[in-house]
Amino acid sequence: MRPENYQAISHPPSNEYELNFGPNHPGIEGNYALKVKLHGDVVVAARADGGYLHRGFEKLMEGRLWIQNIALVPRICVPDPVPMEVCYSMAVEVLNDMEVPERAQWLRVLQLELSRIAAHLFTFGGHAATTGMYTTMYWGVADRDQILDLFEEWTGGRVYHIYNIPGGVRRDMPAGFLDRVSCTMDYIESRLPDYDNLFFTNQVFVDRARDTGPMNQQQALEWGVTGPNLRATGLAFDVRRDDPYLVYDQIDFDIPTEAPGDAWARTLVRRQELKQSIHIVRQVVEKLPSVSGPVRTQIPNPLAWNVPAGETYTRVESSKGELGYYVVSDGGDKPHRVHVRGPSSMHAVQVLEQLAVGARLEDVAQIMFSLDACPPEVDR
Amino acid sequence: MKEIDIPIETSAAKRRTNPLARVFDELVRFCRSRSMFMLHYCTGCGAIELPPAMTSRFDMERLGIQPMVTPRQADILLITGYVSIKTLKRVILTYEQMGSPKYVIGICSCTVNGGMYWQSYATAKQLDQYLPVDLYIAGCMPRPEAVLEGMRKLMDRIRSGEADGWEDYYRRYDWYLGNQQHLFGDDWQTPADVIGEASHYDLAGPGTEGEHTRLLQQCQKPLEPQQTFFQIGGSLEKKGESHE
Ligand code: SF4
Repeated sequence: MRPENYQAISHPPSNEYELNFGPNHPGIEGNYALKVKLHGDVVVAARADGGYLHRGFEKLMEGRLWIQNIALVPRICVPDPVPMEVCYSMAVEVLNDMEVPERAQWLRVLQLELSRIAAHLFTFGGHAATTGMYTTMYWGVADRDQILDLFEEWTGGRVYHIYNIPGGVRRDMPAGFLDRVSCTMDYIESRLPDYDNLFFTNQVFVDRARDTGPMNQQQALEWGVTGPNLRATGLAFDVRRDDPYLVYDQIDFDIPTEAPGDAWARTLVRRQELKQSIHIVRQVVEKLPSVSGPVRTQIPNPLAWNVPAGETYTRVESSKGELGYYVVSDGGDKPHRVHVRGPSSMHAVQVLEQLAVGARLEDVAQIMFSLDACPPEVDR
Repeated sequence: MKEIDIPIETSAAKRRTNPLARVFDELVRFCRSRSMFMLHYCTGCGAIELPPAMTSRFDMERLGIQPMVTPRQADILLITGYVSIKTLKRVILTYEQMGSPKYVIGICSCTVNGGMYWQSYATAKQLDQYLPVDLYIAGCMPRPEAVLEGMRKLMDRIRSGEADGWEDYYRRYDWYLGNQQHLFGDDWQTPADVIGEASHYDLAGPGTEGEHTRLLQQCQKPLEPQQTFFQIGGSLEKKGESHE
């Protein structure tokens, strides 16, 4: 813009103004934006502005082979990629009428739960950072790295594993791996009291998060909220228990709930889920040595694999909520249509727009983190 | 969008002849490389390896690099992954707001050649067509160690004066602008006065102005008061602004 084109703009005097919150803002999660209208520092209207991370996944998947899509799906949700692989593989298995060996199912559960722990550590670290407590974030990220190390040894990738394929998993674990899993679980469990002292019972956090962004159970159900956010309103719904997949029906775990439905409750539910996930991982570690057998079934030549025509919807419980894949095959070697039902697209768009109204500007970031929205999955 | 052939001065030729001035320049570059503020724009999935690189485990701060929240005070612009076209506009706006000297690092294969999304309709494939990139860190995604190593490389290049992408942006502004117009349409404009800045830094050359900047000047009009995003009364109807 050349200087001669600058010109003063006059606005009518008003207490209200609009602010772009994001996309490049330290308080916002990822590349996502909110446009907020403020009266003083209270939000009177908010509008989600996504699309910065849009890559057109559902279209890209139609152009690639069934097996190639395995490399694509984890990219949909970066902090918690494993449920994406598992859910897509399950959909392809349903279409093919394929049995997954039992050992592979236990391995998948182990992977899902480790990924859930990593994602929760990351999320409440982020929530702490938005209330000014950066130490918790530093600790959370460092502890999450312990789990990434396990993944790296197991699958070769820190963040994206590309380990689950239709029909099972790629390979078995390395020798002695379960001991290291137990060690890491002991370590993370020993850290939980520290987190409680530092963050969850911290008066700064309790005062700021209590009554921030509340929603009641009926609103949550109307808005399509799932996962920890729904459980924070007092409803114990969990896909793992209510529509069991893999071997979750043989595993013993509780579904933690909280009643108030505010930011505090949502983060507290995640804190308790962390404990449940550690409990599940322990059970899997105990069970795995007694389950032997192959880790994958024979699949046809993946480069010329025509999946029988049909359609299916599979769902899993990811760390953010119910994740589903709707897959249609027309009998060809590529999917005819794939639709991803991501939990974050509800949480970050309609729910966030409603919850932000009435909050103060400095709490908007906190509400977003307490909803645990994952922008790449919103935009896809 | 044809490549213009402009003699680019090498770093050796740029050295001043006065020995005292040269010592001074060395000192300035040394200090510059040891204290950098980094603006990381989480454009894509590579951003997930940045928190481990910045926090306790790998601790980027020991290299003198700290995150910064505003573009005006930042030295490095970190592009962490694929850039969708909507994001690219914001990236260019951010880049033009930064004060010179400024450096751009492209993390992830997606910034190099499109990576996983080579056939996507929504992403820009090659970042260096739109912005001068000083350093690429390839990988899908690069590990925190690779990010740190990349930062060390950038520090070396700043010390030796090779990291001069920002000068290139002023020298060949017309070419960069042409690529941007090709992607965003002919009425693309930003609030920064890049041509004025180029002459301020004494970097205006034959490639600074050309057919694309003439097009820009034709379509530049005084800024209109921005139409409101919300209708009066708090209704959330969207008005005026195009979706990109
Ligand atoms: S290179 Fe890989 S990790 Fe990086 S942005 Fe592209 S897909 Fe994501």
